[in-house]
Amino acid sequence: MRDEREISIVRRQFGRLGMSVTETDPEQPIGPRPAIDVIVLDADGISIKSDVTPALKANVPVIALIGTETPSRLKWLLELRPASFLIKPLRSAGLYTALVVAFDCAQRRSEEAAHIEKLEGRIRSRRVVFAAVLRLMRRHALSEEDAFNLIRQTAMRHRTTVEQLSAEIIALGGMPNRGSRTA
Amino acid sequence: MTKPSIPLGLVFSRSGPYAMMGREMEKSALMAVDEVNQSEEFDFTFKPHLRDPGGIVRAYHTACDDLIREQQVDHIVGCYTSASRKQVIPIVERTERLLWHPARYEGFESSDNVIYVGAAPNHTVVPLVRHMLELVASDVFCVGSNYVWTWETNRVLREIVTSAGGRILAERLLELGETAVDHIVKEIIDRKPPAVFNTLVGESSYVFMRALYEASVRTRLSIPLLSCSLCEPELKMIGSSASVGCITSSAYFESIGGAENRAFVARWKARHGTDSHVSVDGQSTYVCVMLLARAIRRAGSANVAAVRRAAANHRYDSPQGPVWVDPDNNHCFLTPRLARSIPGCQFKIFWESDAPERPDPYLSDLDLTAIGARLEKMADAVGKRPNHLRVVK
Repeated sequence: MRDEREISIVRRQFGRLGMSVTETDPEQPIGPRPAIDVIVLDADGISIKSDVTPALKANVPVIALIGTETPSRLKWLLELRPASFLIKPLRSAGLYTALVVAFDCAQRRSEEAAHIEKLEGRIRSRRVVFAAVLRLMRRHALSEEDAFNLIRQTAMRHRTTVEQLSAEIIALGGMPNRGSRTA
Repeated sequence: MTKPSIPLGLVFSRSGPYAMMGREMEKSALMAVDEVNQSEEFDFTFKPHLRDPGGIVRAYHTACDDLIREQQVDHIVGCYTSASRKQVIPIVERTERLLWHPARYEGFESSDNVIYVGAAPNHTVVPLVRHMLELVASDVFCVGSNYVWTWETNRVLREIVTSAGGRILAERLLELGETAVDHIVKEIIDRKPPAVFNTLVGESSYVFMRALYEASVRTRLSIPLLSCSLCEPELKMIGSSASVGCITSSAYFESIGGAENRAFVARWKARHGTDSHVSVDGQSTYVCVMLLARAIRRAGSANVAAVRRAAANHRYDSPQGPVWVDPDNNHCFLTPRLARSIPGCQFKIFWESDAPERPDPYLSDLDLTAIGARLEKMADAVGKRPNHLRVVK
């Protein structure tokens, strides 16, 4: 069910902000859309049993328009992780705030995702670091603490990460030549 | 001396997908208007302005916009579906008018510019599920129309049932108006669930109940069927055999005893024929007009703020029993009832609440622990846990 009144407010207000608007039926599969910055979704127009969530779960932030505040509808909506929302009927005020909040939320999410990826990478390479520490301990008869400190200080000097250097130690069988790094 | 006339908007879909209910509601509204106009108890008359949005959601907005701007209407009685009500709310809020809403709905709304005369979810689905858990089954197969009423009603059902240790065996949804029901009926017959909860509406529901009845007769199965929307005119449309035996929750049945209701039904039948039937939504529409008329009389004006104040807590002995508006949420105190459909397009009431129940549109008073405790107590009373109660905590 298309809500023409809401659509015209969205068009007019986004037009004032210098944005262009493309309409699409949420129940239809959405093709590639590289140029889309934000999706405004009329949540009331979609069956909560339909499977549109994967298409909308992409990295584009979603602003959800809510008319029905039943828990069943809101639960469905949360699955979409909307970056922002507005209550219908829309007014000219509010869309701009929703947009700013949505972009901010999307920015934070992508920063958090990058941060988490980095942490996960560290966890994954713990085994590699441990193996490198062991190798230096055996080769140079160092304590665990000294071996790790050596790797850490060398990594700093080489301007690389402990994980990266550890991988090199394992690949080369020992500490890489200082001259081989030109960081 | 002629009485002053107050314009009244009546917005019902006499055509379109739920025309049957729209016509029933409009007939009841006009009957109430005639009674008010002929009564010496009221020193004004209503001039009804009829609008038929034809079940088209956008047309509700247009109709109300016209009634308010062109006919200077302060009060509108109408709407049936939640989608239509959501179209009307912005305009009545913007122009400070009142919508008197007769139909039950799924809750989670409270506009200052709507008087919700139909049942809230604590009046309908909650008593029905409680009864089901206590005396019918703890596992249930759900079939319904794919829209907000079913989604939300099934959510409440699921919350209560699972907290009592029961299971939702399936949730099968059909698009509104869909009548291809055979695959669902076949699944029910194959799986033999201990209960079926039906939130289908309109033709889908009638076709489903007929098909399930025929399949049950063929296979000699008897599966309890539950509903919180079935009404007398629908029993007639479903047919004499297939409509019998459905456990139904509603604030109104034609068979309610008491002088008010007997007189109301007699007036209805005198007006619309002895073979016609009053429906819950029809009766509720009548109550809307009467609550409004009494509030106007009490306020001494049709002014919206004055009428809203006058309607608050003002008890009306309606056909369905005492009804009054709770000013906390603009919904009505109503008496929940449970009944079983019997031959002759009637319901036999087997339970009703001791007193009108406070409306709880957000189900904030829903006490799952109390429902579970009652089940425990019942299980203890019979000495052993009934078979259908597996785990009750």
